[in-house]
Amino acid sequence: MSKPRVAIFDFACCEGCQLQIVNLEEEILDLIGAVDVVEWREAMSEQSEEYDIAIIEGSITRPEDEERIKDIRSKAKVLIAIGACATTGGLNKLKNNFDDLEEVKKCVYSDASTMPHLETAMTKAVDEVVTVDYKVHGCPIEKAEFGSIIRSLLLGKAPEIPDYPVCVECKKNENVCRWEYGEICLGPIIRAGCGAKCPTASYRCFGCRGYVDDPNVNAAVDVMDKYGLTVDQLKSKMVLFGSKQGPTL
Amino acid sequence: MSIKKLNKDVFKSFVDSMIASDQSVVGVKEKVQAKGNKFAFGPLENADQLRLDYDVTLIPPKKYMLPQTETLLTYEVKGESKQHVDEQKLILVGVHPYDMIAINQMDELFSQDEYDTHYMTRRNNITVIACDVVNASENIFASSMETAVVEKGFDILLTDLGKGKEYVAEAITEKGEALLATAVDATDADDKDIAKRSAIQEANKKDLDKHTLNCKPSELSSLLEQAYEHPVWEEKAKTCFSCGSCNTTCPTCYCFDVQDLVNWNLKDGQRERSWDGCLLKDFANVAGDHNFRKQKESRFRHRLYRKGKYVPTKIGGQVACVGCGRCVGACVPDIANPVAVYNRLLEDIKP
Ligand code: SF4
Ligand code: SF4
Ligand code: SF4
Ligand code: SF4
Ligand code: SF4
Repeated sequence: MSKPRVAIFDFACCEGCQLQIVNLEEEILDLIGAVDVVEWREAMSEQSEEYDIAIIEGSITRPEDEERIKDIRSKAKVLIAIGACATTGGLNKLKNNFDDLEEVKKCVYSDASTMPHLETAMTKAVDEVVTVDYKVHGCPIEKAEFGSIIRSLLLGKAPEIPDYPVCVECKKNENVCRWEYGEICLGPIIRAGCGAKCPTASYRCFGCRGYVDDPNVNAAVDVMDKYGLTVDQLKSKMVLFGSKQGPTL
Repeated sequence: MSIKKLNKDVFKSFVDSMIASDQSVVGVKEKVQAKGNKFAFGPLENADQLRLDYDVTLIPPKKYMLPQTETLLTYEVKGESKQHVDEQKLILVGVHPYDMIAINQMDELFSQDEYDTHYMTRRNNITVIACDVVNASENIFASSMETAVVEKGFDILLTDLGKGKEYVAEAITEKGEALLATAVDATDADDKDIAKRSAIQEANKKDLDKHTLNCKPSELSSLLEQAYEHPVWEEKAKTCFSCGSCNTTCPTCYCFDVQDLVNWNLKDGQRERSWDGCLLKDFANVAGDHNFRKQKESRFRHRLYRKGKYVPTKIGGQVACVGCGRCVGACVPDIANPVAVYNRLLEDIKP
């Protein structure tokens, strides 16, 4: 069996997720041994029109991005979205909270805002434009999870992606719950897989991995009373990664 | 077997000599993250770290018999596999009676039907030093569950006779006796010491009661017999996040999930098991993606049936909630308290 050809593409993002792949260190040799990387702008100069697996980082934020991602989709057998930017729209979706994007552009770029390459549209997660086969969540992605998802694909198995909340990993790590400190931790409605990184570092979960399949947001609203907090305070915590978020599986 | 008395200094050097021995010693310590008011079991470096005046630990000591994640075996794809059994010797210091009773229950469960070598090997290599409760935690209800004192399972039981100045230590096994013998300056406990210990234990039987169950634990089974369709399940589960914190903090929850993790060569890998929880959405997923407990109210109900009815039938009627109160504090929407649910049922149903 010849090795599957893999191409890595980026859209609107900080490239932090690609950096996580580079950060695989010794494992990157294993990765390169198992697959044939044919295009990867961040790490090599070659380009290719022929690949089996397309790995997509970043959100779709311009009309020409939509054309490009559709073209990639038509060539790839399997398409994997990596990182919050690609899987949910991530931070880039913050701008979708504004009705008038011209205003947003002016505020960000002032006089330069009319330059053609700064054309912008409402942010879309990759699956709002094309079919996504697998999602690797997080901002940034977890190296270990990325590796195990790729290995599952190589074995022809569906990867195991947690559909339980961050609290599960948080409790296993024996953390004190951030709610006990009066913080609005989104852990109970956010998909696990990061090893509860933030609560383990004494910080609330702000939701970078996106919601679990069936988040009980109503419960979150109900519990605000118990903690003497308001629904607006809850909403303000959900806006960073949760703005106009679609399904995450 | 002997009952000794150890004053503060003797006790300290007893613990320090254990730490200096070739066995690993874990005990209850302050959780650094929490500015001193939360506790967790962890490796002891010196006797001063040990906090036998703790109220409750964040998660129970079961992690030493059933770790959060463990490797069961290594395998070759379509080939041989090799079992991994952890044979490390361990001394576990400071297990409260309710947690000891939970361990005793798990020992029964893991040694019946299919004997679990991984669990049992760890368990048999652990020497347990239990201790009576000095400070009640915020949500403890061990008095209601009849788990405030413990009579078996441990090797040594410690009772603090007052502010850590003096301990009574009773060994009930050969292992315990041998370990206690290393406290060379300990004296024999006299009748007065033993009377003091009894008074402390009798008080705990009444006072570890932040929530009061309005029936006997032995009546829960017949109560639940009649409660399957009661509205409480839906009422409570409405605000359930399916986060499983009521499982992951519980000393008697023992469900696990097994996964094969293949290495990069795609030729070999490890089989791992890790804690699972019956409140999690995918818990009851079976082949073909059917989930036979899809509704969160049926998962919520399942846990309280397990504690009060299903598990007791396997272990001679013992209720599988030991009243540690951890789930009560861990549940963000505050619906997990077993006493609140059972008492709500008792309003409508006579067991
Ligand atoms: S998901 Fe986060 S780390 Fe990854 S590219 Fe987007 S912003 Fe960067
Ligand atoms: S800190 Fe957050 S993730 Fe951890 S248990 Fe509490 S709510 Fe869940
Ligand atoms: S704890 Fe929450 S915010 Fe932090 S990495 Fe995990 S999912 Fe992202
Ligand atoms: S059900 Fe709750 S109170 Fe009972 S043993 Fe489990 S965690 Fe403790
Ligand atoms: S801890 Fe509470 S919210 Fe979480 S699964 Fe248990 S009952 Fe539901």
